[in-house]
Amino acid sequence: MKIVEFKDVTRIYKSGDHEQKALDGVNFSLDEGKFVVILGPSGAGKSTLLNMLGGLDSPTGGTIKVNGKDISTLSNDELADYRASTVGFVFQFYNLIPTLTVYENVALVKEISKNALDPKKMIEEVGLIDHLHNFPSELSGGEQQRISIARALAKNPKILLCDEPTGALDSETGVLVLKLLLSMARNYGKTIVVVTHNQNIAKMADVVIRVKNGKIKSCEEQKMPMSAEEVEW
Amino acid sequence: MLIRKLFRTAWRYKAQFISMIIMITIGVGVFLGFNIEWKSIEEDTAEFFEQTNYADFRLYEETGFTEEDIEAIENMDGIKAATRYISVNVSLKDTKKSVALNVSENYTVSTMMIMEGEEYAKDADGIWLSDRFAEENEIAIGDSLTFIYQGMEIHGEVVGLVKSGEHMICVADGNQLMPDYESFGFAYISPEKLKESLGYSFYPQINVISDMEKTELEEEVKAVLGRTILVTAKDEHTAYAGAKSEAEEGKTMGSILPVLFLAIAILTMITTMHRIAANEKVQIGTLKALGFRDRRILRHYTSYGLVIGLVGTVIGVVLGYEIAAVVISPQGMMSTYFDLPKWPLVMPSFCIPVIILTVVFLTLISYLSVKRMLKGTAADALRPYAPKAMKKSIFEKMLFWEKLSFGTKWNVRDILRHKSRSAMTLVGVVGCMLLLVGGLGMKDTMDKFVTMLDEDINTYTTKINMSETADNEEVKALAESVNGDWQASAGISYEGETIALEIYQVNNDKISFLNKENEQIKLTDDGVYLCLRLADTAEIGEVIEFSPYGSEETYEVRVAGYIRSLVTECIVMTDTYAESIGIDYHIGAVYTDESAEDIEDSSLISGKQDKHMIMETYDSFMEIMNFMVMIFVLAAVVLGTVVLYNLGVMSYVERYRELATLKVLGFRDQHIGRLLISQNIWLTVIGVVIGLPTGFGVLQMLITSLISEYELSLNVGVLTYSVSILLTFGVSLVVSFMVAGRNKKIDMVEALKGAE
Repeated sequence: MKIVEFKDVTRIYKSGDHEQKALDGVNFSLDEGKFVVILGPSGAGKSTLLNMLGGLDSPTGGTIKVNGKDISTLSNDELADYRASTVGFVFQFYNLIPTLTVYENVALVKEISKNALDPKKMIEEVGLIDHLHNFPSELSGGEQQRISIARALAKNPKILLCDEPTGALDSETGVLVLKLLLSMARNYGKTIVVVTHNQNIAKMADVVIRVKNGKIKSCEEQKMPMSAEEVEW
Repeated sequence: MLIRKLFRTAWRYKAQFISMIIMITIGVGVFLGFNIEWKSIEEDTAEFFEQTNYADFRLYEETGFTEEDIEAIENMDGIKAATRYISVNVSLKDTKKSVALNVSENYTVSTMMIMEGEEYAKDADGIWLSDRFAEENEIAIGDSLTFIYQGMEIHGEVVGLVKSGEHMICVADGNQLMPDYESFGFAYISPEKLKESLGYSFYPQINVISDMEKTELEEEVKAVLGRTILVTAKDEHTAYAGAKSEAEEGKTMGSILPVLFLAIAILTMITTMHRIAANEKVQIGTLKALGFRDRRILRHYTSYGLVIGLVGTVIGVVLGYEIAAVVISPQGMMSTYFDLPKWPLVMPSFCIPVIILTVVFLTLISYLSVKRMLKGTAADALRPYAPKAMKKSIFEKMLFWEKLSFGTKWNVRDILRHKSRSAMTLVGVVGCMLLLVGGLGMKDTMDKFVTMLDEDINTYTTKINMSETADNEEVKALAESVNGDWQASAGISYEGETIALEIYQVNNDKISFLNKENEQIKLTDDGVYLCLRLADTAEIGEVIEFSPYGSEETYEVRVAGYIRSLVTECIVMTDTYAESIGIDYHIGAVYTDESAEDIEDSSLISGKQDKHMIMETYDSFMEIMNFMVMIFVLAAVVLGTVVLYNLGVMSYVERYRELATLKVLGFRDQHIGRLLISQNIWLTVIGVVIGLPTGFGVLQMLITSLISEYELSLNVGVLTYSVSILLTFGVSLVVSFMVAGRNKKIDMVEALKGAE
């Protein structure tokens, strides 16, 4: 079953008289449970694409179907519910709430998601059970990103969306985080979409979508993706 | 280039800039307005007194002073000017109106200011009439008037319209609080005309201008004239005392509350400037990295404070004069009380340094805020401002903590993390609450004062004023015939002060007395009652001593209790007790339920006053009070709104990223809005809880400083409490919703870019 379907999706940003086409007739679809990497130089429109998929932004034209449901015409509140139930985000800068502890940051999702997973278990799985009552500022960048992954998965979403998840980390930590991300997503059977300009991450993907100038340049399946260890960083 | 940046930055932080300017404007405006008010009263009345040779002392002799007497007084050392003088209330023929008729024999003291018409002449035949009385009664120069004085008629033509310091507060007697020019005015005639009308000269008063002390003058007069003469100083005379107490009252109103406004304005400025500097930290760092010297950057950011301070102060000064002008101007509220020729506004000189200091202080605040951000190297400065890292508060060690919802924890930690912001929000709420309770409570208290006077104390319908020559026995007979009570008042000296001795016969309950608890009490015949102002001077059961004016005699009396005397500072006793100690008195007024028309005129009666007329004079007095209260309430609401909005926006901006994260996670807008609002509600609840007793305390202070004028009983109605609480909550909620409404506009994509 196709979990994501983009059909003729365009996104035009207007500022004054100036129009900028961030996405220009994008068409693609994704199968459930795959690891998808969206690759492209900065300004190509890959983040816009991810934001559309994540319900952070709505297209100017075209339709986006996720899990069989059209999300391109949803109201603000419906979009919020969609984000709460269907997608989980992992950001480059983690975006944890500084005034909440590690546990609280993850447990937060219980406020909005009915089928949330046990926060403690998720923290245990990312290996930070000892830091349950620390504040984010007391953790390293890699640790913070692991909490962010725990938080994204705790919502028990269909799709995990990651915007440059290793962008703020050194390469060693980046690999660890990436490995964790992959194994967790696989264990829970999630579809992962990672936006990056890092070619190496693409080598691990089931599907690689290349974006340039707001258009899909290519969309290819890799029959034999490499494991994180095999990739030369 | 940096100037351009100043304007752009101002535009970016327009909410903050505008709110800071409003705060400073209101702070300076209210502060100045109230201070200009009392200072103008002081200065304007002083100038008028000077111009009309207002008397410093008044000597009284019921049988009249002789020419030898005045000559002797004039020749005394230390007397700058002296004149024989008379001021008697005479009625206007065929009307219910009356005027105080004045003659200043030498015309060197207690003179008038001619507003229109003929100059004064010692032998003139005309009448100089109060211009306000003339206006109210449509009397013009050239009209003829007839006054009736003790059955004699005094005719004359109005030759001039005047004002006089002696009658700046033009009231018939101590029981009339506010002038009513329609029914009572004043007039001057020449000494020649007085002699001609009466057939003889009669001056029961000598008015003098002198720098002497009262006691000194009393002794000198006694030495010169060979007898004790009743002397009153100007602060015992209505016009001077009224101006003084009005200025004192203004000082009271101009003290605590306006200073509070200014303080809150400055405190908010501190928080806001710090926030702006923190938000601008990267830009500050950029400028530094570009090679701008610290001094230049400092100067640039410091100019923000200076601009805000200057703009706010300038508008504030204008506002201050406008507020003052509502009270002090020819048509202003004070004009119903004072009759002044000119109403210039005068700013107390200490206000100028206060204003300058405010501007300097505001500039200093922004200087220091930026200075903090500039510390260290350019690289340090480039790093964004990081609020303090989270630490666990004591609350978290408590058992209930874990049971709290995430929103509650989030808000509690946020409050603790941004202590100064939270504290300022509290100050805003407390300030708002305090001003409301203080202002509205003041109104309640004054309303209660009037109601008590009307319903609990003055239980009569008509007050009959007795003429000065009326015989006590005849008056008593009259009182009996109208089922009335009577009162005699006389000046006495008690503990070095001149106060009133009031003797009552109250068999018919036309006048009632209240104790401290505002319960009606019956006067007993075994002692005197002290008014509450004098309560400190003697315990119940103690024996006190006083002496009537113009007499060497002292009386020893027992204190039987205390009464609340709303208007006069007095000692009260019953007629029975007065007779038992053998004190002389002259009955001045009879109180009855008969209506004025049903009481037959006679030579005993000098005038009749309906209670409603007396009470109506309080209306204009209350109007001034209500205006001040209105200013306070209005200012409190504006202040609360501005402070809370400003801080609300700041809190929102600071948590923008967190809010965006919540939104991305799937929190709905209302949910986030609720989180924001609940924090404000908690702070408001705490603020209200602190503000209520504080407001009550401030009110107590205000009332205490006014108590020398009236014996007010602190009274705060349930309505005041409810209105204050509701209004404060209303302001807080409206502002919360305004701020919370913004979260719909959070740009999730934009907010999540960049590092924390």
